Amino acid sequence: MPETTAAPPNSPTTVKLKYVKLVYQYLVNHILTLALIPLLLSLLRVGPTEILSLYNSLHLNPVQILCSAFLAVLISTVYFMSKPRSIYLVDYSCYKPPVTCRVPFSTFMEHSRLILNQNPKSVDFQMRILERSGLGEETCLPPAIHYIPPTPTMEAARGEAELVIFSSIDSLMHKTGIKPKDIDILIVNCSLFSPTPSLSAMVVNKYKLRSNIKSYNLSGMGCSAGLISIDLARDLLQVHPNSNALVVSTEIITPNYYQGSERAMLLPNCLFRMGGAAVLLSNKRRDAARAKYRLVHVVRTHKGADDKAYTCVYEQEDPQGKVGINLSKDLMVIAGEALKSNITTIGPLVLPASEQLLFLLTLIGRKIFNPKWKAYIPDFKLAFEHFCIHAGGRAVIDELQRNLQLSAEHVEASRMTLHRFGNTSSSSLWYELGYIEAKGRMKKGDRVWQIAFGSGFKCNSAVWKCNRTIKTPADGPWTDCIHRYPVHIPEIVKL
Amino acid sequence: MEVVSLMLTDKNTAYIRHKISLRITPEEKPVQSFNSDPLLNPCRQVSSALYRFPARKTAGELTDKLRESISDMLSYFPMVTGRLLRTSDGDWTVKCNDAGLRMVEAKVMKGSVEKWLRNVDRKKELKLVHWEEMFYKPYFWSTFYVQITEFEGGGLAIGLSCTRLLSDPICATMMIKAWADTTLIGEITSPPLFRLLPVPNRNTNHHSSSLIDRHKSYLTSSPVPKSDSNTKQITTITLQFNQETVKKLCIAMVNDVNGRGPGPTPFQALAGLFWTCISRAKGMKRGLVDMSVCLDMRKALGLDKGFFGNSKRWDWTRAFSETPWCTISGCDDDHLICVDLENVDCYSAVFEENVVPIRVSYYMDGPGVGAGQILVMPAPGGGDGPESRVVAVTLPEDEAEKVLEDSLIRQLGPITLMGLNKNPN
Repeated sequence: MPETTAAPPNSPTTVKLKYVKLVYQYLVNHILTLALIPLLLSLLRVGPTEILSLYNSLHLNPVQILCSAFLAVLISTVYFMSKPRSIYLVDYSCYKPPVTCRVPFSTFMEHSRLILNQNPKSVDFQMRILERSGLGEETCLPPAIHYIPPTPTMEAARGEAELVIFSSIDSLMHKTGIKPKDIDILIVNCSLFSPTPSLSAMVVNKYKLRSNIKSYNLSGMGCSAGLISIDLARDLLQVHPNSNALVVSTEIITPNYYQGSERAMLLPNCLFRMGGAAVLLSNKRRDAARAKYRLVHVVRTHKGADDKAYTCVYEQEDPQGKVGINLSKDLMVIAGEALKSNITTIGPLVLPASEQLLFLLTLIGRKIFNPKWKAYIPDFKLAFEHFCIHAGGRAVIDELQRNLQLSAEHVEASRMTLHRFGNTSSSSLWYELGYIEAKGRMKKGDRVWQIAFGSGFKCNSAVWKCNRTIKTPADGPWTDCIHRYPVHIPEIVKL
Repeated sequence: MEVVSLMLTDKNTAYIRHKISLRITPEEKPVQSFNSDPLLNPCRQVSSALYRFPARKTAGELTDKLRESISDMLSYFPMVTGRLLRTSDGDWTVKCNDAGLRMVEAKVMKGSVEKWLRNVDRKKELKLVHWEEMFYKPYFWSTFYVQITEFEGGGLAIGLSCTRLLSDPICATMMIKAWADTTLIGEITSPPLFRLLPVPNRNTNHHSSSLIDRHKSYLTSSPVPKSDSNTKQITTITLQFNQETVKKLCIAMVNDVNGRGPGPTPFQALAGLFWTCISRAKGMKRGLVDMSVCLDMRKALGLDKGFFGNSKRWDWTRAFSETPWCTISGCDDDHLICVDLENVDCYSAVFEENVVPIRVSYYMDGPGVGAGQILVMPAPGGGDGPESRVVAVTLPEDEAEKVLEDSLIRQLGPITLMGLNKNPN
């Protein structure tokens, strides 16, 4: 996305411009209020007796009054009936892997060297990726991957799935007090591991959920599947009144550790780590008081119609027949385009009127007057207090920070999640939200924007509004290490 | 008689993993530099402990538990999970980068520990430990290896291999004890100390033991007939001497030197005994083979009991009792090595309530370990008294046989815990 021309930050011109912009924003955003003030003043001047005489002069008979009353009641009923139900996020819980699964850089590099000893170039490549990855020394891989060589059996994969999913759900049930029999909708998403019976069936079996449960298992939908599950849960909760939905997002690493030596396919090994999250959504009115967030919007953008976008994250066999995920070199460009699409849709829904007006004017200007005018990038910092950008990799976060003109503090949650937990795929957004809460920054009324990218190529956004000020949680994956964060992550870590 | 086979999957393809500690300690710790070059001298030493456990319902349950507790234990031993680096001076240093040690998980199908013990020999026992020669890049070579072998019929063997550059048998024992403490009670009773050894003092007083005095009469040593030990099968025999026997031996020695000086310790007495027998087995008609004695210098150097590192010093002992300092590389391949482990508390590593090790052995490998080894250890379960000892002798097969048949040994009537190499299975 092109950037607006920037004057030096503290010059008098910039400061004046800032004030002008502030006044403009205030005027446009509160235009209705400002328009009402003269009306109120004139009403006050007129006086109550004059209003009464005006009313009497209309000569309304009782039938007319009754019909108007009926009409008003009808309209308001139709309005309330068709208004979508409010969806509340009661609570969520992220999985904290055991410390024994920790993979320090030295261990990872040694593994690589031993397994890929025929391909020193590939090992060097992995080392360079790891140095620049933004990951820390505490990210975790499942036990099967610690073996030399890895032992990705189906049993080990199921073991990892059970460990991650059941721990998250247990923790969530403990936090919310919900009973298994109260869960009406169950959605599990895990992109690369899809056994039969499904992971959602595994959850139903473990917790003895009801036989009339609405269960769904989403697989193959990449890192943005977490928000797709939320969208699905929202649609289902519109149809089913008075219900709870349990959404579980995870990625099972065990069966998908690439064991070949193609460079483009080694990247996921360096970035993907163990993690998972369980989220409880509800449309019950009584949960409105205790819920943490309310879902405001979910916007999904799919660029799969474009061939390049479709093949940019592609699972395939390498020349030796080993299966891995190929990441194309155009990934960042495609991600940028997908984001632009998504912003175009979400912008009008969330941006204040001032920004939308500016954007519209610039758009008209570019189309009619001069195509060379720089496109106006709306300031999303006016629409949101917190940003959760999928921790896909350092490059993704850098790209989005630049495109949306965010400050370091806005992207801190994403960077620190990448450092502490690595790329946990669809659950990373929840770890980031957990970071913001652990830092005590979440206040009532704050708006959160979650952005996820995934294979397809998809860009999905969710907007949440904080329902109540959240105290620093006493449990959660960040409790034992939040005091160490934020850390400075060097550009290149010396290995 | 049933022969129990150790069914190990091919060690190169499965079950080896890294175990890392629970803490991040990226720092460098210098290692006592030796002139020996590990690239030429893998110098491994090995200790293994065997336990008798009741049979478990789920296979691998014990291994899982131990896997968790070893990580805990490793938090206290940052040098164990580090990697060797060369400094600019050409010395070795350990970078504590927490790369981890390598662990092998193995199973023995069909059989209990007792059955296995009845048929044990050196070859079988060495299957319980894992070792990898130094990788072409030492920075990616693990200096410590652990193997956990579960016996289907009930029982567990723990084998620890490490490089002599970083530890000695006492450290290995310390590590296993720490691991046992972590598993049983959740914390270590005596954490290790890491520091450099003081420079050797040439004036350290060595008790010229009555052992040497006794054999002073053999002043000229005839050259040892060079046996091509490279082609011969090496075997290890383990003999247990009970309290009474050892006491008698010590008294006999005192009498021999006409009551001069303090009486020999059980180690000195047994070392002397085997020195004589082995010399005879090697064909020495007069005189004794050259022997190096390896002692723990922790006390002499004023080190804490918890000192972690190689503090075993070799004393190059010839019949005319000059005892200069000698580092490992100074030992000739032709020397007999005698190691004093009698004060090492090897049976105190208890992983589960009331389950003590039934057998502990130590092995030393690699060039520089001589033409044979004698290791003197305490007896399992305390034996029948504080002076009972176990002696493990490593020699070429034919010499070992001669030693077993030797009249001096036979007179004392030891219990054979491990005999000659059985049929290869």
